[in-house]
Amino acid sequence: MTTQIRQLPATPSMMSPPPARWPHLSTVVIVGLIAAVPLVFFGDYWMFVAAKILAFGIAAMGLQILYGRAGLMSLAQGAFMGVGAYAGYLVAQSGLGPGIQLLAVIGAASLVALIVGLPTLRLSPLRLAIVTLAFGELFNWLLINSTEWTGGSQGAPVEPLIIFGFDTSYPLDAYLVALAFAVPLTLFALNLGQTHLGRRMMAIRDSEMAAVSVGVFIPKTKIIAFVLSAVFGGIGGWLYSATTGFIAPPDFDLFASVFLLAAVVIGGSRSVAGAWMGTAFIVLLPEGFNLIGQPNLYALAGGLLLATTALLLPDGFSGVFAHIKSLITRMRAQEDRA
Amino acid sequence: MNATGYAMRTDQLTVRYGSFTALSEVSVGLRAGAITGLIGPNGAGKTTLLNALSGFTDVHSGVVYLEEKDVTTLAAHRRARAGVIRGFQTVRLLERESVLDNVLLGAERLHQPSDCSQILGLPAHWKWRTVARSKAADVLELLGLSSDSHRSVDSLPFASRRLVEVARVLISAPPVVLLDEPAAGLDQRGRIELAGALVRVHEQTGLTMAVVEHDIDFVTRLCGSVIAMDSGSHVMTGTPQEVFSDARVQIAYFGRAANAHA
Amino acid sequence: MKSTNRKERWITVESSNPFGQLILGGLTSGLLYALLLLGFMVVFQVSKTVNFAFGQVGMVAAFSAWFFWSSLGLPLPVAIGIGAILAVVVNSAIGIIVITKIPAGRPGLDLVVTLGIFLFLTAVMQLLIDANAHAFPSLGGDKRTVLGGVVVNANDVAIMVLGVFVIGGVYVLFSRTTLGMELRASAENADIAASAGVNVRLLRLGTWTFAGLLAALVAVLVASRLSVDAFYMTPVLIKAFVAGMIGGMDRFFAPLVIAIGIGVYEALAIFIWGSSAGTPAVFLLIIIALAVMPKRFTAARHEVRA
Ligand SMILES: Nc1ncnc2c1ncn2[C@@H]1O[C@H](COP(=O)(O)OP(=O)(O)OP(=O)(O)O)[C@@H](O)[C@H]1O
Ligand SMILES: [Mg+2]
Repeated sequence: MTTQIRQLPATPSMMSPPPARWPHLSTVVIVGLIAAVPLVFFGDYWMFVAAKILAFGIAAMGLQILYGRAGLMSLAQGAFMGVGAYAGYLVAQSGLGPGIQLLAVIGAASLVALIVGLPTLRLSPLRLAIVTLAFGELFNWLLINSTEWTGGSQGAPVEPLIIFGFDTSYPLDAYLVALAFAVPLTLFALNLGQTHLGRRMMAIRDSEMAAVSVGVFIPKTKIIAFVLSAVFGGIGGWLYSATTGFIAPPDFDLFASVFLLAAVVIGGSRSVAGAWMGTAFIVLLPEGFNLIGQPNLYALAGGLLLATTALLLPDGFSGVFAHIKSLITRMRAQEDRA
Repeated sequence: MNATGYAMRTDQLTVRYGSFTALSEVSVGLRAGAITGLIGPNGAGKTTLLNALSGFTDVHSGVVYLEEKDVTTLAAHRRARAGVIRGFQTVRLLERESVLDNVLLGAERLHQPSDCSQILGLPAHWKWRTVARSKAADVLELLGLSSDSHRSVDSLPFASRRLVEVARVLISAPPVVLLDEPAAGLDQRGRIELAGALVRVHEQTGLTMAVVEHDIDFVTRLCGSVIAMDSGSHVMTGTPQEVFSDARVQIAYFGRAANAHA
Repeated sequence: MKSTNRKERWITVESSNPFGQLILGGLTSGLLYALLLLGFMVVFQVSKTVNFAFGQVGMVAAFSAWFFWSSLGLPLPVAIGIGAILAVVVNSAIGIIVITKIPAGRPGLDLVVTLGIFLFLTAVMQLLIDANAHAFPSLGGDKRTVLGGVVVNANDVAIMVLGVFVIGGVYVLFSRTTLGMELRASAENADIAASAGVNVRLLRLGTWTFAGLLAALVAVLVASRLSVDAFYMTPVLIKAFVAGMIGGMDRFFAPLVIAIGIGVYEALAIFIWGSSAGTPAVFLLIIIALAVMPKRFTAARHEVRA
């Protein structure tokens, strides 16, 4: 063991700035960029795409809480989007407005999360992932086989949301409505990083023993993470269905869940900004191939691009930002010394 | 303080792993408001005893008392909330998170605003956060970690990582602290500093502490009394001088203590 | 997913002992799950990686075998042989180019990377052949005898014989031979194994080859009982994957027995509740079983003790 030289008490100017502010800034920039997309392209189609990114991004933020923060892998975030979408749809069928729909979405997502989570949260993360996979498959089967309620495998058209005169059947309005949800939810997700609850979740991810040793009751924290993530998923799904005006079981199947997981991992599972970047990547990738006039190439190159990106950036897009940040910090420190 | 004068004690405590007896009918106590050393060769059962005190292992028979209340079957997290906070022999940290975050994890025991107001970011949460941070700053200062507080723990040298864990234990000023070889990997100067810091905390708060440690000098500097163990049994309890000069302890222990210095 | 609700052909065969028939059907499909899982586990052993694209490796073999046979008119054994070689090549390529490059300590990354490969293989085959389902030769499904009222065809017999021999063979190889010891050593720590004179690269190549062959074998057999397209292996992979996770990827017989059990249970559920009940019955049972199972059966390798 080398002798450790204790540094002299640092003068205020030498102290590193609290790093907690930086993720905020990058998230604000990312959200701002996404928010600016329709202003740049200013076409209905791109506003529709942007609204979709917002809806998926909300669900991805939920998965980021569960997977990136609490270390619990879920293969059912797509299914929770479905829970929200169909809960909103069923309530809308009985003629109730957006406020009640939102309550139903939150209630249904929480309830289902409790039913799936309570008995199984003691399982190891991998086995919990299997439970979520099984739940997703069951949910999809249920959607397909209760045709009178859900429209079955054919799907069903969804009434647009009309909130304060904004009508989601118009892409610009759908976009603004989704933005009105995405902004506060992003702030909640960011705030979680500042709370002790968020720290408790990280402790579950990194060392359950450390968590227990300071008095954390693990099941409760896991349940909170699970329910929070389901609520984000549900709201995302509800907004998605309002944006597309149509719901069908394949929108919420295992592949939807796996793509959301891919978004979180590609973006960098440890940051909220990562969830947004990953979602934008996953949604924009096929659009990019459309844009260069090669839509068929997406099927072929999309998978390869996903695999290569994940391999080249194992800490995701936000990992790159973190890396650049630490480089800058180190360079500054060297300048200070010089 | 209670009639026995022990903050925590065990009565005829036996811990078994399969057919192996890791602790056999151990009756020892941690004197309230004192620092007690826990010594013994490798495999003596020191960590097992801490595990039993903190609720991290199932007990086969016997009783664990906290302030004369039977806590033998109290779950580990409840014992922590009741004020028994431990460190680990192999440090367990939030890797890739900052020193500050790691230390703040220990603030779990401080009365917190509800989860709901934390999620919604209500003012109660921000107030709590300020309080917790100032406590973290104090304990980091005490352990000489202030300048590292925003560094990620995985970039720290091994010895500092141990100190981070000690800081996590101490931040909530728990009434009972159990440390498992907190000075392992520290150099001589680090040991002296750590012992000094622990003594200072102890003077300030009057907490009850048990410290597993191999280093005679460290134990003598820190502890009023020492419990010696060997092969899962309690050998003797006494002042450091008494214990280290006892023939039974020397036979069981000193052959290895020389190694532990290295 | 396209293929979840396809009716399996063997269910509809006439027999005088429907219960025996259904057990046989469940047993054979369970064995197919187990064989695919075996390949999955072998890959996991050497790479600690969950390969989501493993079923698609088999799909490449079976789909291209179908193409060579039906469109190019090659004899069936030759077509299947070429398919198997393709599977070995593809699997080795995935292993060498992709899986060994996945950095450790990033849980979930393996799933994302191999999802990319999954999509790529699917797209390639859809582009090269097509996106439709095709009937595959029944591979002995028409040669039948009746045993105790149960119609047994050559395909069933082949699966059972292969299942027993391959699983038994791998077990003996892993537990009883020096080759098995070297494999386990290089799985634990490749550097140490290499310094002890084990040719880790050759061993890995052997593992990819073997796993590729297994995937091809299972995929061809599944195709011969259902039909073949670019997606049909996914339900099989999911069930194998689930069995592996429940039984524990670091164990041997437990996950394989669970895989076979899933096959039998699925057949039972279809028998009792009708053909659309297979999927929900299986997944419901999985959730319930994991929820009520005592902790010591479900706990994976835990954090090291305090
Ligand atoms: N969870 C467990 N399962 C099985 N055996 C255990 C377990 N925990 C401890 N043991 C055994 O109990 C004995 C005492 O272990 P313990 O860790 O308490 O010793 P120790 O005094 O802390 O030693 P050291 O100085 O090496 O830390 C050892 O032989 C150990 O192998
Ligand atoms: Mg110990």
